[in-house]
Amino acid sequence: MSLRVIGANLIVSIKSFYREKTAVFFTLAFPVLLILVFGTIFMNQDNVRFDFRVQDLDQTDLSAELVKTLELNEKFTITMVAPAIDAAQYAKNNKLNLVVVIPKDYERSLIGRMTHNDPNASVTITYIYDPSSTSVSTKMQILNSVFAEINQRMSGKPPFITPAEISILSRDYRFIDFFVPGIIAMTVMTASLFGAVNVNAELRQKGVIKKLSTTPITRTDWILSNVLYQFLLSVISTISILLVSYAVFDVSLQLNSWLPVFVVLDVFAFVGIGMILTRVAKEAESAAAAANAIMFPMMFLSGTFFPVEMMPGFLQKFSRILPLYYVNEGLRASMIFVDNMIALRCSVIIGVFAAVVFVLGMMTTKWEEG
Amino acid sequence: MTCRAMTEDTEHVIHVERLTKRYGDLLAVNDISFTVRKGEVFAFLGPNGAGKTTTAEIIETIRTPTSGTVSLLGMDVTKQKRNIVRRIGVLPQGFTSFDRITVRETIQYYSRLFNCRNTDVDGLIELANLRDRSKEQFTNLSGGLKQRLGIAIALVNNPEVVFLDEPTTGLDPRARREVWDVLLGLKRKGKTVFLTTHYMEEAELLADTVAIISKGSIVAMGSPMALIESNAHYLVLTLQSVHNTVFPIVQKMGFEPAHTNHKNITVRLEHQDDVRTILNALKDAGASFLSLDVRKPNLEEVFLKLTGAPLREGLAEEVA
Repeated sequence: MSLRVIGANLIVSIKSFYREKTAVFFTLAFPVLLILVFGTIFMNQDNVRFDFRVQDLDQTDLSAELVKTLELNEKFTITMVAPAIDAAQYAKNNKLNLVVVIPKDYERSLIGRMTHNDPNASVTITYIYDPSSTSVSTKMQILNSVFAEINQRMSGKPPFITPAEISILSRDYRFIDFFVPGIIAMTVMTASLFGAVNVNAELRQKGVIKKLSTTPITRTDWILSNVLYQFLLSVISTISILLVSYAVFDVSLQLNSWLPVFVVLDVFAFVGIGMILTRVAKEAESAAAAANAIMFPMMFLSGTFFPVEMMPGFLQKFSRILPLYYVNEGLRASMIFVDNMIALRCSVIIGVFAAVVFVLGMMTTKWEEG
Repeated sequence: MTCRAMTEDTEHVIHVERLTKRYGDLLAVNDISFTVRKGEVFAFLGPNGAGKTTTAEIIETIRTPTSGTVSLLGMDVTKQKRNIVRRIGVLPQGFTSFDRITVRETIQYYSRLFNCRNTDVDGLIELANLRDRSKEQFTNLSGGLKQRLGIAIALVNNPEVVFLDEPTTGLDPRARREVWDVLLGLKRKGKTVFLTTHYMEEAELLADTVAIISKGSIVAMGSPMALIESNAHYLVLTLQSVHNTVFPIVQKMGFEPAHTNHKNITVRLEHQDDVRTILNALKDAGASFLSLDVRKPNLEEVFLKLTGAPLREGLAEEVA
């Protein structure tokens, strides 16, 4: 192993990288953009407001009071519809997904229940809705809970079950805090996998490796310098992701020694997979296609963008055989929950996997011709 | 490490003995033997698929032989790769390098791989005539410039033997001549050069010894002049821009003329006096032509005679 040779390779790789604008974009800017886009989308998740229309057919003080009660709920933005209008046609014409109709005898029924204690006095609030809308069921569920609360209050008895919330996290975390470790794991995976495929398949196909094999550089020098380069790129992209996350979204993440451990293991695991793919797929194009075929399931099924628990049972089982799952879990355990035991367990699993595929990758990487 | 030639006191730097290389059922190199002397330019001349590159790559330690022995600078190529690669320079067939790295940076990179601290980067740039392009990235270079850079890189470690595998294939005539100028510079410096080519002019211009290879076997070997003298005892008369009647007149005289294009014909002549005989016959018949050329056969024609196949497509008709 020659440090001078490894250094020379590293310089060439870095110069090739920053002179290739698309590589810079996909390695550095793309994950940052992902953080910005998803962070912005989910930053307002807690302050989401649902808008809908209300048609008050009763036009009385008490029906106006009900509208005011709904308006007091911070989640609703209400617009009134004139009582003379056909509400169903109005919703259809204006492509509205929900119009809430307060019936004509609302005040009379309410007085009957409150003053005369008449159990038969009741009203039906009608939801005119578009079932094809994705958000309408959420609106209706929230409205149902508001009406249930009004009904309960009218009974004059205190509620029997009252929920209380206790977070298992020491601090108040948001979705973006869960998202950032996943993006770090995914970015390192992508750069390492495609970096290994490009270096080994493309340069081999072009004949650069053949030329290198007539120089004193050894296969070990070559592979180690590429791993070092991928690690350097991974560190730079991790730092840029964290800087943007802290600066723009003020994330609450714990930065400890587990972060570099998982980044290194992520690099070794996916450089190893990349080297094996390059040996199996003869052409650079088919190696890149194989890398894509590995990357996409890994990206979407290992809990990078959304929790694994949201997936059906068989997919959850499948996700547990994906190496990126353990990088995601390990990074979240260390950066969010500060759970060293889970981080250790994940690091051992991904560490063993990385060692096996990297050694296999080294053994299968072809340096001389047949 | 200081890179300089560690010359050995041996006459021959390459010894190839009964070398055979098979790829499955394909016999790429068939039991060939030859030696290359120190300081000579040795050319392997043959068409595509003849086994030139396979032989060169076995000597360069890139490939392993199926059988036979190959020694380079006194070392067995299958056992002493690490020592050999430090003492040779290689321009592989279809040379490419890192797209975004400049000419100067590429030479510096390869110099570092050889751990050379005294590589004359400017001298190599000058030798390859790349001074004006030293800051150009590899991807922006033309084919000829890339090959010249490849030759410069093959010299970063001041090698004792330089391997040039088809250095001018795919280049236009001007770029080819520019590469030849660089190679003539190497020849003047007394470098031992192992050259593979399918260009007859290249072998004739540069080589001290030519080995003609066909279908994996060496069919003839010697200096270009000796090969021509011993294999082609005739002259080639070319008549340019001939009148329509020239062809039948020459044919009637018992010669076998051939059209090289619609205006020119070539005739193979066994005796020098035949030139005068043909010219007199044309004069008597009033048949005209613009110019004539009488020359000895070249290596391409020698190759055709020895193997029955042309070096390149379309050549058979030209020299028939």
